[in-house]
Amino acid sequence: MKRFATAASLLIVLALFISACGPTPEPQIIEKQVTVVVESVITATPEPKEPPAEGAKMILRVGTGDSGEGLNPHQEIIARFEEANPDILVQLEAVAGRDYYTRLLTQIAANDAPDIMQIGDDAVPMFVDAGAFLPLDDFITGDYPLDTSIYLPGVLEPGQWDGQQWLMPKDFTPLGVYYNKAIFDEYGVEYPQDGWTWDDLLETAQALTKDTDGDGRTDLWGIQLTANWTTGFEYWIAAAGGRLISEDGTQFVGYMDSPETVAALQFYADLYNEYQVAPPPADFNLWAGGNAEFDNGQAAMRIFGRWPQAGLRENPNVDLGVVGVPAGEERANILFWGGFGIFSGTKHPEAAWRFLKFYTGEEGSEVWKDWAIPPVASVAEEAGLTEDPIEGVWIAELDHLVPRAYVFTPYWGETADPALRKALETVLIDPDADPAEVLATAAQEAQAALDEKLAE
Amino acid sequence: MARREALTFYLLISPWLVGLLLFVLGPMVASLVFSFTKWDLLSPAQFVGLDNYEKLFSRDPLFWQSLKVTVLYTVAYVPLELAGGLVLALLMNQPLRGIGLFRTIYYLPSVLPGVAFVVLWMWILHPDVGLINTLLSYVGIEGPRWLVDPDWALPALLMMSLWGLGRSMVIYLASLQGIPQQLYEAASIDGAGRWQSFWRITLPMLTPTIFFNLVLSIISTFQTFTSAFVATNGGPLDSTLFYVLYIFRQAFEYFNMGYASALAWVLFVIILVLTLLVVRTSDRWVYYEGERR
Repeated sequence: MKRFATAASLLIVLALFISACGPTPEPQIIEKQVTVVVESVITATPEPKEPPAEGAKMILRVGTGDSGEGLNPHQEIIARFEEANPDILVQLEAVAGRDYYTRLLTQIAANDAPDIMQIGDDAVPMFVDAGAFLPLDDFITGDYPLDTSIYLPGVLEPGQWDGQQWLMPKDFTPLGVYYNKAIFDEYGVEYPQDGWTWDDLLETAQALTKDTDGDGRTDLWGIQLTANWTTGFEYWIAAAGGRLISEDGTQFVGYMDSPETVAALQFYADLYNEYQVAPPPADFNLWAGGNAEFDNGQAAMRIFGRWPQAGLRENPNVDLGVVGVPAGEERANILFWGGFGIFSGTKHPEAAWRFLKFYTGEEGSEVWKDWAIPPVASVAEEAGLTEDPIEGVWIAELDHLVPRAYVFTPYWGETADPALRKALETVLIDPDADPAEVLATAAQEAQAALDEKLAE
Repeated sequence: MARREALTFYLLISPWLVGLLLFVLGPMVASLVFSFTKWDLLSPAQFVGLDNYEKLFSRDPLFWQSLKVTVLYTVAYVPLELAGGLVLALLMNQPLRGIGLFRTIYYLPSVLPGVAFVVLWMWILHPDVGLINTLLSYVGIEGPRWLVDPDWALPALLMMSLWGLGRSMVIYLASLQGIPQQLYEAASIDGAGRWQSFWRITLPMLTPTIFFNLVLSIISTFQTFTSAFVATNGGPLDSTLFYVLYIFRQAFEYFNMGYASALAWVLFVIILVLTLLVVRTSDRWVYYEGERR
């Protein structure tokens, strides 16, 4: 009996312990300046000055995955909207980090999601497929019409799926190449110019890779790359004239292992291993952000999105310039994008659309222009951003966008992404690995996983 | 009277009981049910029978990889934690001035939040400017690239976790101080040296604590998550793809709730079996005071 009691109490303790130790999703680490975003739920809406009569106002809830300073533009736009629309109150619900989608999904399942939800590019197919959003086409031509020609090129497409518009653009960035003018000047190398090629890139990077103290180790690197970051690598594939998946979204084999894709991986790996113009990866976690050479003034160039630009402009080690990505066989770029859509279970579809139109239209862009590139072309132009030597580059890059792989399959993250990541890691770890073989393996792994999903 | 007492008893434990039913047993049963379905949280769950379990055992190389990583890590970590914690506790049990300060210092890492702890170690392990490789370079050794090297990433995480030895140390320490002094006095009168006292008194008296730490350590090591999630994201080449990290991916990145539930239940059974094994063997090596043999 005693033994039974011991075993039984142990089992209960065990069950408790296991449940207590379950993986609470951890806050996400953004970039690498060790910015640990602390998970938080903030409902931040400035209270209206004169509370209106009871029941006179409609309440709209807006869900966002932004946090910290990123909430400022939201709040400013909301304040302006409430002023212009006294019948509506807007509540911002911010959940930072990887928790955001999990929370949204449970809210959607419980039919209690925010009326307006923010979603990142590669989550669009899944959420739309699951019926989480209202189609917007009827709103766009309805009582509160929206002229969709006001937008910069390429920024509406990520919100489309199955021939309908489901989300409107919030913010976005293509890739670009940052360069440190101080280093270029010091060694008398010409700044990279728009329209440059992979050959130019290699030549420039080689000219700026130096062992300055003669100890046999490189102290200055040509270009800081993005290690095993799969999405970033899609640019290299597109520029080589390749693609990862067939148009109908069923085939990785024949695409992920095509000669073009192999050429992209070969060149990328060569920059690390053969020419050694890129600092070796310092870690392989989410964004492979461990390399800080560019920030420290130890790398002449860096390929990345617009995210760290504000910090780089204030960085004393960097005299910042930005240029478009170089052309390989093709002049191509890819877009990273976040947008807002209307929850399919909303009780106030019309009010939600009015807010969405305000937010992602000219009025909202007027606020956004101080924080990022606003989606509305005329606003960007009037603010002088199109002509700006730095911001203008990001806008000009929008003319060269090609669709990313997630557009062709909702299973990208589950099938090809892990396989491609492994392929990148393999060539970075083992300089003797053959990119053709590595990609053949990756394509087969991705295909097997995809076939499994498609058969379900 | 007895009935009233029983009623009071249930009344008093009811908060715990309700909590257990609602937040532990309920979700556990639910996840067991989900493990027989295909469910993405949004569309209604579809019953698929044993499909998830079949896929997991026969068609999912990552299941085996994550199990391998986790078992390997557990086999290495648990003995190290048991022995290391004990050695630390013995050191911290010395009657020295300021020993409280040392105890605090050694226990401190255990109270750091997981993510901060890991981020700190990522800098210590940085291949080019990290503390460890810098120190190694002073003695002429070129350190490995730790988290970027598939052969070294898991050992690096192991090293990182051992910094948290303080947790088991504190438990040992409490039980060390609970060993009656007269046992040592009697032994020394009988002529036992320090070594003999350790083997014949300290260690046997500690076995219940070792048992407790062993069980706890197995359970928590099998659920290693934070370090891999933050520092390596399971890489390089899946060399740190821990089981729970894989569950997390399936559940919250791919939204395969049914499959993730099946994975979780397989883990639960593994941990359960291991724990029962330890419990089964325990009467051979665990001694309780006053227990007759």
